[in-house]
Amino acid sequence: MLKLNHIYKWVKSGGRRIFLLNDLSLNVEQGEFLSIMGPSGSGKSTLLNVIAMLDDFDEGEYYFEDEAIHNLKSKKRTDIFNQNIGFIFQAYHLLDDLTVYENIETPLLYKKVKSSERKALVADILDRFNIVGKKDLFPHQLSGGQQQLVGIARALIIKPKLILADEPTGNLNSKQSDEIMQLFKELNQEGVTIIQASHSESNAAYGSRIINLLDGSVQKS
Amino acid sequence: MIRNYIKIAFRNLRRNKLYSFINIGGLSLGLSACILIMFYVSHEYSYDKFHADSERIYQLEGKAEFGDQTIFMQNFSPVVAGDLVEKSPSVEAGLRINSEYKPVIVKTTEGTPQSYSESNFFYTDENFFNFFSFNLIQGNKEMVLKRPFSLVISEEISKKYFGKRDPIGQKLEIIKDSTYQFQITGVVENSPSNSSIKTEFITSIATMEKMKENERNFSSQIFQGGSFATFLKLDNIENVASVSETAQKLSKQASTQSKDEYLLAPLEDKHLKSKFDSGIKYLELFPLIALFILLLALINYMSLTTARSDSRAKEVAVRKVNGANRKNIALQFYAESALYVSISFIIAGILSYSLEKRFFNSLNIEIDGGFFFHPIFLIILGAIYVVSILLAGIYPSFVMSSFNPIENFRKKSQGKFGRNLIRKTCTTVQFTVAVVLIIGGIIIKQQMDYLKTLNTGLDRSEILILPLQKSMGNNSQAFRNEIEKNPGVENTAISNNQIYDGYDIFYASTEKTESLALPLMQVDNRFLNVLDVKWRFKPANEELITAGKKIIINETAIEKFKLSQDPRGEFIELAGSPQEIVGVVKDFNYASLENPIDALGLKVSKRDQFSGTGFLYIKYGNTENLQGLISSLADSYNKYDSETPFDYQFMDDKFNALFKSEERLSRMFSFFIILTIIIAGLGLLGLATFTAQRRVKEIGVRKVLGASVLEITTLLSKDFIKLTALAVLIASPVAWYLANKWLQDFAYQTEIEWQVFLLSGVFAVSLALVIVCFQAIKAAIANPVKNLRTE
Repeated sequence: MLKLNHIYKWVKSGGRRIFLLNDLSLNVEQGEFLSIMGPSGSGKSTLLNVIAMLDDFDEGEYYFEDEAIHNLKSKKRTDIFNQNIGFIFQAYHLLDDLTVYENIETPLLYKKVKSSERKALVADILDRFNIVGKKDLFPHQLSGGQQQLVGIARALIIKPKLILADEPTGNLNSKQSDEIMQLFKELNQEGVTIIQASHSESNAAYGSRIINLLDGSVQKS
Repeated sequence: MIRNYIKIAFRNLRRNKLYSFINIGGLSLGLSACILIMFYVSHEYSYDKFHADSERIYQLEGKAEFGDQTIFMQNFSPVVAGDLVEKSPSVEAGLRINSEYKPVIVKTTEGTPQSYSESNFFYTDENFFNFFSFNLIQGNKEMVLKRPFSLVISEEISKKYFGKRDPIGQKLEIIKDSTYQFQITGVVENSPSNSSIKTEFITSIATMEKMKENERNFSSQIFQGGSFATFLKLDNIENVASVSETAQKLSKQASTQSKDEYLLAPLEDKHLKSKFDSGIKYLELFPLIALFILLLALINYMSLTTARSDSRAKEVAVRKVNGANRKNIALQFYAESALYVSISFIIAGILSYSLEKRFFNSLNIEIDGGFFFHPIFLIILGAIYVVSILLAGIYPSFVMSSFNPIENFRKKSQGKFGRNLIRKTCTTVQFTVAVVLIIGGIIIKQQMDYLKTLNTGLDRSEILILPLQKSMGNNSQAFRNEIEKNPGVENTAISNNQIYDGYDIFYASTEKTESLALPLMQVDNRFLNVLDVKWRFKPANEELITAGKKIIINETAIEKFKLSQDPRGEFIELAGSPQEIVGVVKDFNYASLENPIDALGLKVSKRDQFSGTGFLYIKYGNTENLQGLISSLADSYNKYDSETPFDYQFMDDKFNALFKSEERLSRMFSFFIILTIIIAGLGLLGLATFTAQRRVKEIGVRKVLGASVLEITTLLSKDFIKLTALAVLIASPVAWYLANKWLQDFAYQTEIEWQVFLLSGVFAVSLALVIVCFQAIKAAIANPVKNLRTE
């Protein structure tokens, strides 16, 4: 599904380059559930951002479904991202001023989905995540686990082929965290490709493959 | 989508009450000012456009040369209109109007007769109501002026004279030298405030011909100047040139030596070009100031919105990750600014609509309230609305939509140097404008005071001016004798023209000069005494002054006519008869202060020999019971003149009326200054609050480390104070330059004092200090533990 060849990303600091990603190559197949592990600062988030095309890299090649991302203009990249990828954050990043329903609806609005269709899609997903009763609440009225559920529902509403999750359970307790992981597993079985970054061994274990990142490169395991 | 944006904007508005209040409050004030000013300005520009054919109506104007002076003619002989209709195929219709120059006395005939002095009385041709679009409420427009001594009055006049009774067929007496009886045949709508023709009393020119006082108006029967304003309706505006050529030709035919030039002036320009209404002098300045105030309010909105961009940055990032592109985000912030502007606009609309009457009354401007819904004005309102939305949204939407989502997630607050700089610039600009306005306002006020207290060479305090009309007849001496016996009256004097209001111009020459214009006033021998005019060269003998063929001149006349240093005994030729100069008075202002004092000749007659109409100057000493004095003067007056109602004016007021435009400018300025200060103050309050909030943790830490309230207050306020000080520095030279330029228009200028700049500067800085310190102290005395815990 996607392929990274010898990706380098660095920042300059006092004339020296500090490598965030260092000669990183990665191949992800359709239907995989990949867990990326590694200590803080090892480049997990940077890697996810690069895959999500939210961040640039300095050298290397990136193919997403045979599309050479490194050659594309940023507008086109954004289009590919918007069509194919759902992003889930550790800090949920829900819009505080919007209700649960409106938060989930937002991506559909930007995709210019018709109102009736929007209603149906949002109703489906609320139903599926068992949060119908909470649809008119604002994020601050929800627990962390519920907020992350909304975050996931929002990422899923556009039916992405790929879900990127940056420490999705980092702010949750272990029970909530297990529920989320279970949900990921189900999604994966339905055919969604998932890449998650995680600190925790137990969460990573839900994945079908684990890679370890250190100082911006994949550790041979 | 848009609904979603507006929903969010609304929730945002509710959640941040202080910001919303500042934004909406400031914008509403700015917009109200803008609306009111544009209301006034568009009204001025809408003059006479309500006539159906207004763009095809022209008024004939002419230029004639007399000696060294060019005379502009607006009135022509009675045949001019008819000749032009006949000889020029492009002229569809012509219309003459002759307005009574002095007020006429109008008297009711039924019951106890009541009389009023009316100044809007004119004679016109029968086709008046076809030519112009004044609607008749009663009467047939073809017939109302047909019969001589028919009179059409306005609704208002009808109400004044007849109350609720039907005026048609009623009679009114018009008193000139003789008394004429008129019959009311029609009632016309009150003329709108943007009409340069005021319809109050209208009668026909045929009537005018039958009144013997008017004979001389008809004496000239050739194509030349005269006493009728002449309006022409053309078939096509492209034929203007050909019509004025025809006029030129006709004038040449009438008199071969005629060098008069004729041209057609569009009716729509009549009001703005009129040299007599000084109220429009600063008309071009007002829209500029309106725009400035609106801009200040919009700057507030922009700078406050971007100040809050930190808290909105996350939202933008989330939206972008969820599929929003730059356009979506920009649109969202536009929708938000549209919402704020709309709310402010509605408030401003209500505010200005309800304040309109009071605002314009305070400026002595009369505008029909209905003009608020005039299409021209509604279009302007629409334009202000759209421009405000576009301007308010442009910067926030640009800044917000440019955020990179990842950077916003990664760093909580990054180097916002650029945005900070813009906020600082905004604050500086606002205060600069405020300070410029304050300094300007003070200098305008000083100039007014300077002019009002200027030594004009005479003493105008404690003087009442009383017009003596023809209806006083030969009683004026008796009247004067009686009021001089009044213990409140010290002295009286008389002149043929009212001072500050006009003078006669004669052509005079001396041995060394050719014919030059010499303004002339006819006064009695008390005049110089009552007005306390000083002598430069006293006449050798008081008796000489009032003798025949003698004249008194002022100092300027010595120079203008190249007379010797002490010209007593020399002669000046006035209308062919040599006059001996018997004395010279020091210069005094007898006309507008805009120009330096011109030469002046005074023909002095003895107190008892002055007859006819004129103006009586009454010097009163005891000011304690002024009302009593005036009513006893009125009593005496009514004994000798039962027809013209008693009327008076203080000479001081008459003098101050010379500065009508400046007075208006000054009042408008005070209004602008207050608004600017409020708007800039609101903006500063918002920014100060924002800064204090953003640095709440820093303040907490500093306090824990032992900083005092004073130190923290200083820390928080010093940046703002620096900006205000910078604004004062920028504003001072700008204000100086503008004020200096404005003062150039005056022959008499006040000095621009440095204290004004200091005072305005100190005021601006202390204002900023109060606003900023209020927030800073609040932040500084807060319990640090509480603040640190919230982090």
